[in-house]
Parts: sequence; structure tokens; C-alpha cells
Amino acid sequence: MKKLLLGLLFFVGLFWALSNYSGLATQGTYDSILLDFREDIGAAQIQNQVEKLVQQFKLAPRLNSIYSLDDHLFVVKGNQAVLKRLRQSDLRKYTESIEPNYVYTAFKTPNDPDYDKQWNLRSINVESAWDETRGSGITVAVIDTGITVVPDLKDTKLVPGYDFVNDREDAKDDNGHGTHVAGTIAQSTNNGFGVAGIAYEASLMPLKVLSSSGGGTVADIAEAIRFAADHEAAVINLSLGGGGESQVLREAIDYAHSKGVLIVAAAGNANQNSAAYPARYPHVLGVAALDASGSKAPYSNFGAGVDIAAPGGSTDSNKTGGILQNTLNPDTGESIFEYYQGTSMAAPHVAGVAALVKATGIQNPDEVAAVLKQSVIPVPDDPLNHYGAGKLNADGAVKLALRGKITFNDFFRWLRDNGYLNPRFWVDGGLVALWPKLAMVLGSYLLAWFLRNFFPFTWSWPLSIGLVAGSSGLFFLKPMYLFDAPQWPFRLLGSSIPEMGSAIQGGGLHPVTASVAIPLFLLLLLLGHRHWKWFAIGTSIGMAVCLAISAIWMPQMLWLGQGAIARGFLGLNALLCLVLARFVVRSEVRTV
Amino acid sequence: MSLTLEGVIERKGFGPGTWALVSPTGETYELHQPPLELQRAGLRVKVQGQIREDIMSFAMIGPVLQIQQFEHL
Repeated sequence: MKKLLLGLLFFVGLFWALSNYSGLATQGTYDSILLDFREDIGAAQIQNQVEKLVQQFKLAPRLNSIYSLDDHLFVVKGNQAVLKRLRQSDLRKYTESIEPNYVYTAFKTPNDPDYDKQWNLRSINVESAWDETRGSGITVAVIDTGITVVPDLKDTKLVPGYDFVNDREDAKDDNGHGTHVAGTIAQSTNNGFGVAGIAYEASLMPLKVLSSSGGGTVADIAEAIRFAADHEAAVINLSLGGGGESQVLREAIDYAHSKGVLIVAAAGNANQNSAAYPARYPHVLGVAALDASGSKAPYSNFGAGVDIAAPGGSTDSNKTGGILQNTLNPDTGESIFEYYQGTSMAAPHVAGVAALVKATGIQNPDEVAAVLKQSVIPVPDDPLNHYGAGKLNADGAVKLALRGKITFNDFFRWLRDNGYLNPRFWVDGGLVALWPKLAMVLGSYLLAWFLRNFFPFTWSWPLSIGLVAGSSGLFFLKPMYLFDAPQWPFRLLGSSIPEMGSAIQGGGLHPVTASVAIPLFLLLLLLGHRHWKWFAIGTSIGMAVCLAISAIWMPQMLWLGQGAIARGFLGLNALLCLVLARFVVRSEVRTV
Repeated sequence: MSLTLEGVIERKGFGPGTWALVSPTGETYELHQPPLELQRAGLRVKVQGQIREDIMSFAMIGPVLQIQQFEHL
């Protein structure tokens, strides 16, 4: 039942993602057109044509760059109408192509107007991490001076916290520090206002332990850590430190760790060798601060207890070298955007990225810490341990966390890379029976996914290729038509393995290729090979689905007709393919 | 642990700002809830106070000092 639900969820997600997939729906934006003149017509003819652009079309062609002269690449201002006119004119004869000069944007940049001042977010590569996750479903406890819901936290989710200083439910901020730290973790982002935060779909838990003057007792801090652990926080940020070693605090940290909470703490701002407590305790990720140039910030502690480095900024020479977030003015209580510096600012960068990593599904805090440390941008020469494992890298961390897992994003990349999101697929798709083909390729993928839940094998390229080859082939190639060229190569490439027997001659499925014989042969042949045996396994899974769907949908077979015999034959072979795949996968996983 | 210190009051730029006492040898103490008269950068003072081992702070610039008595120099 659980598997069925998982399957249903998979398809719901799939169609949601398909309907949101922008690759085909939007063709990009452009306000200029590229003309690529033919190499063989000579400079004089090109000059003639360029002049014609000026006189006849009233356009002002210019070279795209200093390198464009050799390529004869010209750019003119223009929209769709101009593009159409140019394409219809006799310029077409003199050019290799006339096409829209699309504006490409590498990643989704948030629309927060002051995002460009957040050098710190770009330096941890957070934009490409956002393609995968924004921390949804994860709670980060901010143990600090409290959190006030300033305007740029309006869209951020808050869960109930506690004020341990004044002993009350409402943990609002009367200093500004905690609100600033909260902003780095989850400032409302893409809201057209202010600045961005790292895990902006995560929830914040405000826990006030520091008074308006910035200090708090070890007893309150220890209680707040236990509160967070008992109220389903996944990550705790401690932008505080000092004092001596405390058994009470150490026990609270061990308790939270045992409940699966990752604890991140600032290394301290005394520019001294060894981090302050609590960063120095075991089970706490101690964070040193980097300035805007990526070097150790002048105040940052270093040495023992520093596990990783993240942007903390430095406002010594220039205010804009600090970390900008929305907070409050402690004197008036008004909302302000302020640059702060400190390892206090570095720690929430790590807490935010930890939330992103947790959102990918990694529960164990030690694993999250390992992912964060392994994915850093390393600093090769660091004798005094200024940087710990290295510099925080959000994109690397999320990619590393997702390695070996299949997400919807992976699935789309896979579909796209295999040509299934190619426009030709949709244009010419009607020529091949589209729906059975789609069912075959999705079915084989789904079946592999299910098998993987029982026997955790690693997803690999040979397996994917096997799945496609066995289930549907590169079927969008089938109706391709190049005049004068023989069509059988396309038909062959466009056929799945069960169809191979009849790809050249035509007719129904061939009883030899549309049977368990092929995957059995491939498995016997490839079982000894580390990678390509997965191609054979993929083929077997893919063919099981292809034959099953053929049995139901279109049981047209050579010699066997299209009646009960053909259906029985296809059904039986589908079952045999499945049993074969299951048998091999199970024994493979056992031997690994 | 009571101790007597001499030094200059400074405003350190962590969070919205923190009051500190910097000794002639460069040691920095964070002042825990200092009296209003001491909240002025550049002031040279002699203070008697106690290091609070049980207090943590966001400034993390050094030991937290609670002032009991002070005099201007």
C-alpha cells in the first residue's frame, strides 16, 4: 500500500513538474536578432547585404564582438515581426542562419532589490543550490536575542518558540542581533522587497536567551537547546559564546545531538587561537568568519574548534563589507537594513545550508556535518586552522547530499538528456503511438525506482540507457525524414529492443526479439562487467514494461497474430523479464 | 573572582554594538550591562569587577566583565 501511495505521489509530482516545466513553454526572451552570413560568399557580398539591411530594413547591424568579423556574425535590434521579415527576404540565401538572440540567465536570481549587495550569498554559491531545495519542511532554531517579524520576514514561516530571559511565550527581539541572524537563514526571498536569505522556505523557531544588552546565562542557553530538540528543530544556530566549560551545556548539546539535531555555533570574535564555547564542544560545528575577499576576517577566532568557514564580513574599512539583512533599530524598534559583522553572521550561513541539506532527506546530524565539510571550497595552505575544512559551498553541499538519490529534478534532466523533452517529440509524436511509448518509458523508470526501494542499487548511466533501449527506444527518431536518405537507420534507432526484429522489414513484433531471450543473453554476456551489467538489468526492466504494455495495448506479432496467443506470449515474457531483473538485482545488491 | 583593571572604553562593532574595556596590553573585556556613565568611547577608567563565567554573549570579544566599582582616570 505504501508503495502504491509512493507511486501515486510520483505521478502527481511528475505532472505538476511537467506543467511547470518552462523549457518548452517559454522560448526565452529576445530583443535582437543574430545573422550569420555564409563563409563562401565573400566579403564584398556580405558588405552588400549589410548595406541592404540598413537601407531596405532601416536596421543598424553591428558586429557581435571583435571576434565576430571572422564568423560574419551580425546583430540587429528587432522583435518577432522583424525576424519574420528577415527570414522571408532573400537575405536567407546569403546566411547560414537568422535567429533570435535569446537572453540567457544562468540561474534564478531572486527579485529582492538589494540582493546585489549580498556578496556573501553569491560567495557560497547559493543560487544553484536553490534549483534543488529552499529548505522547505525544516525548522531552524535561532537561540539568540529573539526574532521580531520585520517587514522582510513577513513571508517567512515561524513556529512557536520561547523567551527564556523574560519567561514568556513571545520571543520577540529587543536588540536586533537575533533578527539579523534569522534573516541570513530565512529572510523572505523573491518577495520583491529587501534582501534574500539562504533557506527561505524553512521555518524559524525564535528562542530568546540573550537580553537586550547582548548577554545571557548558560542555564537559559542549555534550556533553549533542549526546548529546540524537543520541538522538532532540525538545526540549532548559536551565534553566541564565551564563559567557561559547562557540564549543563555539554549535556544539553549531547541530548540535542542524540535527537538528530545539528548544532552550529560561532567560533568567536577575539582573534584568538581556539574557538569559544560552545563552538568548541564535540557535536557542535564551529564556524569561523570570512571577509568579502574570502580571507579570514580580522576578528575571527581560529585553531581548535573551527570546523568550517563562512562569510561573516568585515565593516572595518567599509560598511558594505558586512552582511546585510533586515533587522530592528534597538533604540527605536523600527525596521532597518543593517550591515553586521562577526562570526555571529558566519554561523547562520552554515545553519541555512545545513537546513538545505536536511531538506534533501539526510536526517543524521553527523552525516549533514560531513556533507558540509566534504563539499567545501578547500583552502590548501592553512597551518593555523583559520578555515577548518574550508569555505562553505551551498551548491556543492546540496549536490553531494543528492548524489545517489533520484529526485524529480534528476528525472527531468534524464528525460531531457534522452530527448523526451525535445520539441520534435511533441510535434511528430503523433506518428508513433505516443501514449503507449510514454507509458513504457515512464513505467520502466517507475519499476526501476520500485526495485531500488527494495534493493538499494546506485542509479547509473548504463542502467538508464538499458531502460530506454528495452522499453521504448529513441522513438522520437522514428518518424524523422531526411530526403533521399534511407529511413531504416532511423527506424532502427527509434526502435526498442523488442521491436528490433521487425524494425527494418516492418510487421508485428518478432517472437525472438520480443522475448526474455534478449535480456537473458545480455545478462549472460555482461554480468561480469562492473558497469555494463546495469545496462542488461535496465534492458530487462525496460522490456518487462514494454512487453506488458504491448500485451495489453497492441499485441500485433509476426507469425502469432494479434489474438490470445500473442497476448499470452507477450505477457509471459514480460513476467519472465521482471523475474530475471529482480533475481539479478537482488543477488547484485547482496554481493556489493 | 574580583579583579582590578585599567584601560580605555571602546565601542566594538558586533551586532548593534558592544561596550568593551581594552587594557594597555591589548586584552579586551566585554562589559556586562555597564553603568550609563561608562557608555562613552575613549574614556580612560580604572574598574573593579568580576569575570562572569556563567554568561555568554553574541559579541564574543573576550571575558565578560561585570563592573562593581569604577573611577575615571
